[in-house]
Amino acid sequence: MVEVGVEYTKVSEIRGPLLIVEGVSKASFDELVEIETMDGIKRLGKVLEVGQGKAVIQVFEGTTGLSVKGTRARFLGKTMEVPVSQELLGRIFDGLGRPIDGLPEPIAEDFRDVNGAPINPERREYPRDFIQTGVSVIDGMLTLVRGQKLPIFSGSGMPHNILAAQIARQATVVGSGEEFAVVFAAIGVQYSEAQYFKRSLEESGALRRSTLFLNLADDPAIERIITPRVALTVAEYLAFDLNMHVLVILTDMTNYAEALREISAAREEVPGRKGYPGYLYTDLATIYERAGRIKNVKGSITQMPILSMPADDITHPIPDLTGYITEGQIVLSRDLFRRDIYPPVGVLMSLSRLMKDGVGEGKTRADHMEVSNQLYDAYARAQEVRALSEIVGKAGLTGVDLKYLDFGDAFEQQFLKQAVDENRTLEETLRRAWDVLSTLPEGELTKIKEVHIKKYYKARG
Amino acid sequence: MAHDHDKVLESIVGKVVSQVESDLISQIESSYAQSLDRLRASRASVESEYNRIVEAASKQAENLKRQIVESSRLAVRNKQLLLIEEAVNDVFKHAIARIDSIRADERYESMMRRLVENALDAIGTDAVLECNDSDRDVVDRIVLELQHKYNFSIEIGNSIDCLGGIRARSKDGSIILDNTLDSRIERMKPILKKDIARLFMV
Repeated sequence: MVEVGVEYTKVSEIRGPLLIVEGVSKASFDELVEIETMDGIKRLGKVLEVGQGKAVIQVFEGTTGLSVKGTRARFLGKTMEVPVSQELLGRIFDGLGRPIDGLPEPIAEDFRDVNGAPINPERREYPRDFIQTGVSVIDGMLTLVRGQKLPIFSGSGMPHNILAAQIARQATVVGSGEEFAVVFAAIGVQYSEAQYFKRSLEESGALRRSTLFLNLADDPAIERIITPRVALTVAEYLAFDLNMHVLVILTDMTNYAEALREISAAREEVPGRKGYPGYLYTDLATIYERAGRIKNVKGSITQMPILSMPADDITHPIPDLTGYITEGQIVLSRDLFRRDIYPPVGVLMSLSRLMKDGVGEGKTRADHMEVSNQLYDAYARAQEVRALSEIVGKAGLTGVDLKYLDFGDAFEQQFLKQAVDENRTLEETLRRAWDVLSTLPEGELTKIKEVHIKKYYKARG
Repeated sequence: MAHDHDKVLESIVGKVVSQVESDLISQIESSYAQSLDRLRASRASVESEYNRIVEAASKQAENLKRQIVESSRLAVRNKQLLLIEEAVNDVFKHAIARIDSIRADERYESMMRRLVENALDAIGTDAVLECNDSDRDVVDRIVLELQHKYNFSIEIGNSIDCLGGIRARSKDGSIILDNTLDSRIERMKPILKKDIARLFMV
């Protein structure tokens, strides 16, 4: 990299969020650049391309108001870094990591590259520790484990942020009593959503163990490229240097992908599906893969990215590619949302791939996995029966079918539905699961061992 | 005869009265028993409702307590951060005020030489150096000594307002390097801040 602080004044072109500077000989890829406007206002950017005496710079805060004449680019000789320390907890920053809470810049213990360092795969530890979220459908059927990346696939207007905030407030590892540090990255969300999250953490007393990075809807779109990386860099420090268990919530990753598309278009790259760049998968992976656990390190990063599916389309490139990288997904259902069921988790579309390793005897309860499988099975059948009854009417259904209809209603009303501030223990979740399963004839419980049926089935005798 | 009839009537009335009386008593008793049952049953539900309300209230109180404690802790911490920042800024102010006095030190000239060399290496073409009036003689000397090392011209430009150090630019103005002490201190501030804050036992 060049001598720190060299400024170049020959700006040849401004194209979308990109600035092209000439006469640059020693810039490096990804190098941080400080752009100074004619009236002394400073913005940050990074080098996207170098060569033939030119450097293409992506300006995080956008290029609005910049002119070719009088704009200077100062190359800072380093990639973007964030100051890290324990004092970041309880603080609020903008999308680039600058304080917006009226307090001074944090005093850094260290400065970390926002791109992070990839975790050596050999040193990764398989996530196995059950996290109790207090939300029945998650704890019972989509169990979250420490170090997992489990996204919420939502749609516009649905209560994904309310669910994420509830998880952030309530998440705990049973037995250890350890609470999570929360790193929240708002990526292009509305002010009211960010405010809800802040208030929710404040009211539960969790703000002291949280760090918020807010890039709001009216903040520059290009800044969104950096926000999740800044948040994850802080999370990595808290987890792997300070041994904390960190829950990272990234909302809304769709806005991140939109910003990526904007830059890609400005760079005139060949577009992929729906105009997103061909490297969208790789780029998303550089974010999602920063979750996990490391051998012999106590801390962990559990990630809950939230993405709103355009037109509720789960085949859209963003949820599609996210699903390839993450370890399952929680899908919110508009149908349940319309029927006033909170949380409106469409369980049949949802999955936690690491659940099997985090539940069972010695971890949660011996019957946990079987109960979950039986609930899936029975709810799927209930949905089929509902569809059938729409056609033939209830009179055309068998006695067992009618039991499944009742089961479907009981499942949604007693197990799935709960209050926003209701924190259920795993015992209560499993009790409710058995309550609804007990509405079915015993012979229908084919996924559960006899020994567990004997112990928990309530309609027996 | 009439007397017999009265007696029969009397006994019938007596029987009816005693029948009604026993019916009434049994009805009263059963109502009483039912009332007791209901009372017992409602006591259980009232008790559970009472427990639920108490539990909800204590949960709410616990949350409120937690909220108050945590927000007070946060407020104290934030106050502390502001105080440290103030103290750190004071240290910087004092340090900057002392820079003038180190100008006489021989190490100052070697530092200036390093700054000039750095700047010329970065510019790499015909360059103009700018410094403050106090450093002008030192920079003149350094330029004379270094002129032979570089195969481009080095000029000394106008005076600038700074603590010390130099600002170099290419002759056409397309490349600039601000190597003044002001900008270097500014760049180093976040790193120095940590060391200064440690002095305040943070």
